[in-house]
Amino acid sequence: TDYNDLYCLFTLVQFTKAGQFFSSGHTNNWAVLVCTSRFWFNYRHVANTLSVYRSVKRLGIPDSHIVLMLADDMACNYRNPKPATVFSHKNMELNVYGDDVEVDYRGYEVTVENFLRVLTGRLPPSTPRSKRLLSDDRSNILIYLTGHGGNGFLKFQDSEEISNMELADAFEQMWQKRRYNELLFIIDTCQGASMYERFYSPNLMALASSQVGEDSLSHQPDLAIGVHLMDKYTFYLLEFLEEVHPASQANMNDLFKVCPQSQCVSTPGHRTDLFQRDPGSVLITDFFGSVRKVEITKDTINLTSPVEPPIQRSGSGDIQIESLTYVDQLPVAEIIHQKPKQKDWHPPDGFILGLWTLILLVFFQTYGIKHLKHIF
Amino acid sequence: MAAPLTLLLIVAVTIRAVLFRSSLAELISERVEVVSPLNAWKRVVEGLALLDLGVSPYSGDVFHETPLMIYLFHFTVDYAEIVFMVSPYFVDCLSCFLASLDRFRKQKYALESDRYPADCLELLRSPKEMFYIPLKVAMFYLLNPFTILSCVAKSTCGLNNAIIALFIFCTLKGSALLSGILLALATYQSIYPLTLFAPALLFFLQRLYIPVNLRRSSFWCFTLQYAFIYVGSLVVITGLSFFLLGSWDFIPSVYGFIFSVPDLTPNIGLFWYFFAEMFEHFRLFFICVFQINVFFYTIPLSIKLKEHPVFLIFMQIAIISIFKSYPTVGDVALYMAFLPAWSHLYRFLRNIFLVSCVLLACSALFPVLWHLWIYAGSANSNFYYAITLLFNFGQILLVSDYFYAYLRREHHLTHGLYLKKKDGTEATLVLK
Repeated sequence: TDYNDLYCLFTLVQFTKAGQFFSSGHTNNWAVLVCTSRFWFNYRHVANTLSVYRSVKRLGIPDSHIVLMLADDMACNYRNPKPATVFSHKNMELNVYGDDVEVDYRGYEVTVENFLRVLTGRLPPSTPRSKRLLSDDRSNILIYLTGHGGNGFLKFQDSEEISNMELADAFEQMWQKRRYNELLFIIDTCQGASMYERFYSPNLMALASSQVGEDSLSHQPDLAIGVHLMDKYTFYLLEFLEEVHPASQANMNDLFKVCPQSQCVSTPGHRTDLFQRDPGSVLITDFFGSVRKVEITKDTINLTSPVEPPIQRSGSGDIQIESLTYVDQLPVAEIIHQKPKQKDWHPPDGFILGLWTLILLVFFQTYGIKHLKHIF
Repeated sequence: MAAPLTLLLIVAVTIRAVLFRSSLAELISERVEVVSPLNAWKRVVEGLALLDLGVSPYSGDVFHETPLMIYLFHFTVDYAEIVFMVSPYFVDCLSCFLASLDRFRKQKYALESDRYPADCLELLRSPKEMFYIPLKVAMFYLLNPFTILSCVAKSTCGLNNAIIALFIFCTLKGSALLSGILLALATYQSIYPLTLFAPALLFFLQRLYIPVNLRRSSFWCFTLQYAFIYVGSLVVITGLSFFLLGSWDFIPSVYGFIFSVPDLTPNIGLFWYFFAEMFEHFRLFFICVFQINVFFYTIPLSIKLKEHPVFLIFMQIAIISIFKSYPTVGDVALYMAFLPAWSHLYRFLRNIFLVSCVLLACSALFPVLWHLWIYAGSANSNFYYAITLLFNFGQILLVSDYFYAYLRREHHLTHGLYLKKKDGTEATLVLK
């Protein structure tokens, strides 16, 4: 009976685990990671985005499901003393720019218009797949924005800005077009909480690095490179994510605790009122990783063979062997109408006649008939 | 005379052949200073291709050549390079018969030489000086970088220049029929040579010793004859063009295009910038103003220069190539070829240094500012237009300088070389 009880308890636990395992409704994961500022002194924004990219990729989201938008190229910037690297920790401990980084929108392509078009899917038909967010209604999307922002806006490329209302409307468009199942929005800018104030679509969860009226601060400068390498919030977010692995059960409540005010100086904020599940039941890997639902079974399964056995020939009499020919499978001549061979254009005969008659007339008028006898 | 001319021809052919075969040919044929929508070779090929596909070449805004050009190029499109190399030599023919000019002038002076003060003899040109003028004209045209660029780009401007040159040749030879026909052909190609009707008429009147007096019937008689030849051949040529393609499509495509300037690609002319920023309701007015500007100078210049029709032809051609709607450097090269014919005016030119510096600098700056504007993105259209303005200013200054020099020489011929005011001190001439 002890064993029975244990067995029942075991199955019960398994059942809840299994129930929990299937409680999220998503089947695929997407990530849109955007760095909105250019120039060398905004190195840290690129490093922020690349560290989230690295975590997301490590946890299983493939490049085909990541839209990475970097407004400037730090790795190959002329001022980078260590070319082809972007470091996130000082003393160059961690290079987040490996040799497999795939940037989808680079440089001047990172604009408000392109960002909104990626989100809503309204891209011209010539856009390649790598630049599209091909999510469906079973996709969990992680959106990470970093750069310079203010109360209600985020600055793109030092020349334009996106407002929180535009962002909220874009997410509403995505909801109406069923482009996401659940969406996690993380923003690391000054006064970042203002960007998620206006959201009104369901299944959105948002995190920001600072409240309205506060600035998000950068973490450490590296004296060899000469600029600040990361922002505080993303630095601690990266440290947190380094502990996460695809099977980890860490949930969103742990994410909300990342970078408290003692470490970050600014107060991180979050918004969960639009989200239908309890944040405690939402796994980190639901958004940051691409954990596939795999069902393991120990039973054998018979696959029915689609190939039919050959028909037995009956009789042993003389079998007429027909000469084998290829069937004309595609009667080309009937399908494609032959285009008539193009005839070159020729000037009409009347024209040629008229023109040369006139030329001859003028010639003889000028030079007189007496020259004719020299010709003939 | 024959040997240097042959040498010159060989040099010119060599330069053009070398450039045709090099990679520069493609580069040059896309430069906007050298080709315009009216005479680009690329458009000719496109038009002929359209014709081969059974579509009218004038459909769409691609092809703006006249039907006779279609006829010409239909048979020679594979030998286009040869056609374009041969056409400058027609201008060359003109130079060989500029000698007739001096013959004529000598005749005139012989009649009036007793009227000239003695100290003017140094102003008259001796036959020895004038012997080399045809060679110089040929050299100025064939070796002019503008002509070479225009030829290598296979712009049909070279053919238009050839027709105008043939027209001048026939006028100077004295054949009214041929001159009328060639003028009609030149007008048919681009409308602006219409203004050359007046100087040609004046030349023939002078040659036939008919005084230009509006009351004399002999004047009207000849004018009507010449006008009849001109208008008649124009009508015949237009009718022939209609029969080539069977439609009147070419009239809006060619002449409508020249007059209404719909294509505002930058070139070395004055139209594009102005009309790029023009409001629609002013456009018609300013089109009229700009086009009248070309034709406007004909009557006053003809009145002033009625004794000197050859110089009038030069002035008219210069005015056409400055003020036409789509000028290219080929048009500039045409009147520049004439400059050695007026080399005796050199002592009276006042701005020759400034003009040559301006023209050289602008020619050098055109590609630079184009690159800066279009490719580097660090300039804008104002820079290019500034150089266009300066180039045209230089041209206008050149033309007006020659005009001044010509008139001053005429004045000296009648009043003596060293002018004295009433009280005996030295006087200076001012052009008012």
